Amino acid sequence: MIETFLMSFRLKNAYQTNGIIYSLKSIPVINRLLPVSLYRSPGLKIFANFVSILWEISSMFLGKMLYLFIIIFLLKDHMKSSPANSFMHMFFFLTITGGFLNTHIFHPTRDKYYAIFLMRMNAREYTLSNYFYFLLKIVVGFLPFTLLLGRLSGVPIVICFLMPLFVVSVKLIFTALALHDYVRTGHAKNENQLNPVALVGIAASLAAAYLPPFLGYAMNGAIFLALFVFSAVIAVFSFFYVLKFREYRSICKELLTADSFAMNKKSMAARAVQKSLQLNIDIKATSSKSGYQYFNDLFVKRHSMLLTKSAKDITLISLAALAFSIMACFLIHGAKPILNGMMLTILPYFLFVMYFVNRGKVITQAMFMNCDHSMLTYRFYRQPRAILLLFTERLKSILLINLMPALVIALGLPLLLWLTGGTNNALNYVLLFVSIIAMSVFFSVHNIVLYYLLQPYNIGLEIKNGTFTIVNSFTYFFCYFAIGKKVPTLVFGTLISVFCIVYIAVSLILAYRLAPKTFKLR
Amino acid sequence: MKLILNHVIKSFDKKEVLRGANFAFEKGKIYGLLGRNGAGKTTLFNCINEDLKIDGGSILLEENGVKREVCPDDIGYVLSTPVVPEFLTGREFLKFFLDINVKKIPDIKPIDEYFDFVKIGSEDRDRLLKDYSHGMRNKMQMLVSFIANPCILLLDEPLTSFDVVVADEMKTLLRQIKKDHIIIFSTHIMELALDLCDEIVILSGGILEKMEKDDLSNEAFKDKIIQALRKDEND
Repeated sequence: MIETFLMSFRLKNAYQTNGIIYSLKSIPVINRLLPVSLYRSPGLKIFANFVSILWEISSMFLGKMLYLFIIIFLLKDHMKSSPANSFMHMFFFLTITGGFLNTHIFHPTRDKYYAIFLMRMNAREYTLSNYFYFLLKIVVGFLPFTLLLGRLSGVPIVICFLMPLFVVSVKLIFTALALHDYVRTGHAKNENQLNPVALVGIAASLAAAYLPPFLGYAMNGAIFLALFVFSAVIAVFSFFYVLKFREYRSICKELLTADSFAMNKKSMAARAVQKSLQLNIDIKATSSKSGYQYFNDLFVKRHSMLLTKSAKDITLISLAALAFSIMACFLIHGAKPILNGMMLTILPYFLFVMYFVNRGKVITQAMFMNCDHSMLTYRFYRQPRAILLLFTERLKSILLINLMPALVIALGLPLLLWLTGGTNNALNYVLLFVSIIAMSVFFSVHNIVLYYLLQPYNIGLEIKNGTFTIVNSFTYFFCYFAIGKKVPTLVFGTLISVFCIVYIAVSLILAYRLAPKTFKLR
Repeated sequence: MKLILNHVIKSFDKKEVLRGANFAFEKGKIYGLLGRNGAGKTTLFNCINEDLKIDGGSILLEENGVKREVCPDDIGYVLSTPVVPEFLTGREFLKFFLDINVKKIPDIKPIDEYFDFVKIGSEDRDRLLKDYSHGMRNKMQMLVSFIANPCILLLDEPLTSFDVVVADEMKTLLRQIKKDHIIIFSTHIMELALDLCDEIVILSGGILEKMEKDDLSNEAFKDKIIQALRKDEND
């Protein structure tokens, strides 16, 4: 079994390594520095191998540290119960949530498909050895942080030591249950497509994790210990069940069909796009336009479920939030000055909001998936004139779709400012309106220009362009870090509006100059 | 009219795919392009269609003794895997195509006539392309390549996905239109090439070579072609 594991580890490492080289090659400047026979070059292989192993190790620790730190450690101080009890209580129930979410065996991944079906490795040996490695990583990865953060919260040291073992116990129990379920129903559960029972379980365990400690009812050390011993006993039985189970190959066969594993690596959004693309084409829509306008018009209408409907939903939610805030002004004593102060300082926060409500990325994905990946094979569609005509049409559509919610927010904020007592400087009203609209236009333009300049997708909607990933992450982090920064609206509004206008102008010029060359299939 | 390839060179990284390919394809003939897997047939098509830039040589069109560059409107390229915009119906796709090419198509006919031409039934014309079968998508793709009436037609394994009846229809159709076109047809199926094509050209070792049938029997001609294709191994 150890041999199987080592083989599978080497296999995984090999394609992770090639994946790293591939990503390096797709970054423009670095690409030129790298030689052609890259995948053979031993030096680079060693480097990528090193990165790959580093990633394996850091993912073992980093994820678990962030998990403990962000959703347990930071929140414990907001609970009524003592920090130690809150920590244990949240850890207990969130571990159960984790049991529903990931048992490893029922998680369809590409490496499993390659190993079991392409390389014909023994399914049971492969699954079990990787499963035990997964459990080992849990113990090693969790222990330092349950000790560190647990002790900082005042959790008894014995419990800190037992916590990782508790996670392992829960994983074993859930795995055994799922295997037993497979024997009973003949159906393997797929952890990328959660069933209703699992969803209810996740919701219930999440509620159980946070509500009781918030209200002051968290478990203490004694209860945690008792529950641990209880679960550990069941886990021992589960362990033998998992070990003796024989039908791993048939489970893998069901999980790792072409479409379930192919979908795995994609983000939820991309998957949703692909799914709704196949389902929600509105055949009844028609258009009276002609040429490229006709084409784009039908595209937008046929995909209205995907494109305009969510923008309308967001508009409604924004309206509701606005109505709620207005009501709060009049009904809750003391809300007015707080809201007034907010209107004058929290504009940076709206950078993230506007980033979040913008549909640009989904729209470009839909454009690619259901239109461009086929149309770009036609030569007439790739003529500079055609690309630019359609770009203009699409830019209009994308702007209009995103302006719906943006208008509500852009009018709502100055309205709130006025209702809560106004301001001495009338420029604030204007800036609130202008900067929200500017941000909306900015994100719309940003998304479509990036799409036309980098065209990052392959047919599976996987992103195959390092630059695109970098620019996107940078945009996200920039917006994310704007949260919580209190800058006077006068300053931030002016800066962001100017920035947006300049950016929009520059990127549109770039798009019109370069898109005919860059907009193509990968 | 002739399509003249003059010492066309194309390589990827260090792999030379086309090593100075020379050939003159003439109007009124269907050329069967044969080559082994990876010999570069699709690369050659992509070069003619300017999807790929050639590294050396030239690809020119000779009309009444005057040579000129090949422009996009000269070429219709039918890919082996048909790709069509799934969110449109067959009729809408054609309407869109006619709309944007209105100036280039000399005598635009009613849309239904085009459907009749490739024998797509009236019940299928208003269905979404995503619900079309592989063969029907391929017909649509061929249709839009024919409508604009380009003088050069590049067909990359176009008949393999059709059932025998449709394949026969398409063969008839290609024979009908060949007098006004230069048709280059790549395939792996020797019988098809011998049956449909007027000339057999093989791509081997990065160069193009015309296979003369002389007065060989079909069997002997086949052997000759296979021998020529085998050369690739010995190189």
